[in-house]
Amino acid sequence: MDKNNLKMGPHDVGGEESLPIDTTDNDMTHWEKYANALRIVVSSKRIITLDELRYHTEALGAKYFEIGYFERNCLSLHNICIQKGIYDKELFQKIKSRKVSEFDVPIIDLPDVASINHIHDGKPHSHNVSDFQEDESGDGPPDYYFDTLAIAQIFIDQGLITNDDINLKIEQFDNVFPNRGKAVVAKAWYNNLFKEALIKDAKKAISDIGIELETFADIICMPQTDTVHHIVVCTLCSCYPRTLLGMPPSWYKSRSYRSRVVHEPREVLAEFGTIVPENKEIKVHDSNADMRYLILPPRPSNTEGLSEVELSKLVARDYLVGVRLPN
Amino acid sequence: MDTKFKINDEIIVDSRSSSGHCRTPAYIRGKKGVIERICGRYPNPEEIALCKKDPKIVTLYRCRFKQMDVWDNYSGKASDTIELEIYEHWLNDA
Repeated sequence: MDKNNLKMGPHDVGGEESLPIDTTDNDMTHWEKYANALRIVVSSKRIITLDELRYHTEALGAKYFEIGYFERNCLSLHNICIQKGIYDKELFQKIKSRKVSEFDVPIIDLPDVASINHIHDGKPHSHNVSDFQEDESGDGPPDYYFDTLAIAQIFIDQGLITNDDINLKIEQFDNVFPNRGKAVVAKAWYNNLFKEALIKDAKKAISDIGIELETFADIICMPQTDTVHHIVVCTLCSCYPRTLLGMPPSWYKSRSYRSRVVHEPREVLAEFGTIVPENKEIKVHDSNADMRYLILPPRPSNTEGLSEVELSKLVARDYLVGVRLPN
Repeated sequence: MDTKFKINDEIIVDSRSSSGHCRTPAYIRGKKGVIERICGRYPNPEEIALCKKDPKIVTLYRCRFKQMDVWDNYSGKASDTIELEIYEHWLNDA
């Protein structure tokens, strides 16, 4: 049977031939964090479900890979709102124009450096032009940021969400969620009973130490062993235990990683610098539905006597997805 | 929980095509594997995506496949495996 006939859409990439993976994780911009937070708030309040969002993202057709991940999310959210009559195009354009105009920052006249001569510590002192440059990037926000701001404003005006909901989510993704997985793994390294409980029923074990993951999904914990190497992917979108590990890295969402891990895991792992011995089984977990995965790396050598907190500093996010191993 | 399949049962993923939102990747359709575990019962995502009221609750299984059985030219080891979550209405007896 020709697999192409079964392909559901542009998102269904598992098994495609694809390019090498860019294994660096690019930091998220503010607008990406905002778009992400809005999507999570809207879906966790069940205003629009995750499956609706996925459906409309998949329906973008050729546009799916032409625009970036967060722009895709924003556009599908907008399309659902129009379809469901949450707002109409006229209202959206009105609010969006307002958001754009609010963002117009006047150009500041930078001082003429030649005219600045003053005294520091008793010595004459002058400046270079670079001392007065405003920021390092110079790039403004993309257009879809204003779409996101407008959608959020309409939801706020309708009393469906608040600004605080979005700000809290941004804060949690920056400072709370990424540390949870590290703490859990450090505890498992430190305490064998907890490790056993984690492997048996991860969601319960994590809840029992006071971490509420605020997710419907179950968590499955797979320990790396001497005989099996585990690695996680979501070939259909970017399923990831966000409230346990934070945002997935950019490569996790990339077409290359999603296409290739399933059919050439050894080659992909080698691109991350992880050489899996020939006699070891590789087990790929396609996180394609309602489960989420935590890979438990082996405790690094020469760490006897370290405290749980000290151990947590040795936990890298990449271990928990299975693309890298500690020494 | 009374389920159609039990752990270690041999299954074949249905090879029909689908329209709309679905969580069964194309590459695994028509492939033979075994039930690794029963995950529980979840609302059918194909119906949630369409905003259906009271979507059908379906059993979700984790299924294990030999990589050699999934890809025609798999270049890795014979022992390599891949595991996916498949809803009951996509599984047939092997």
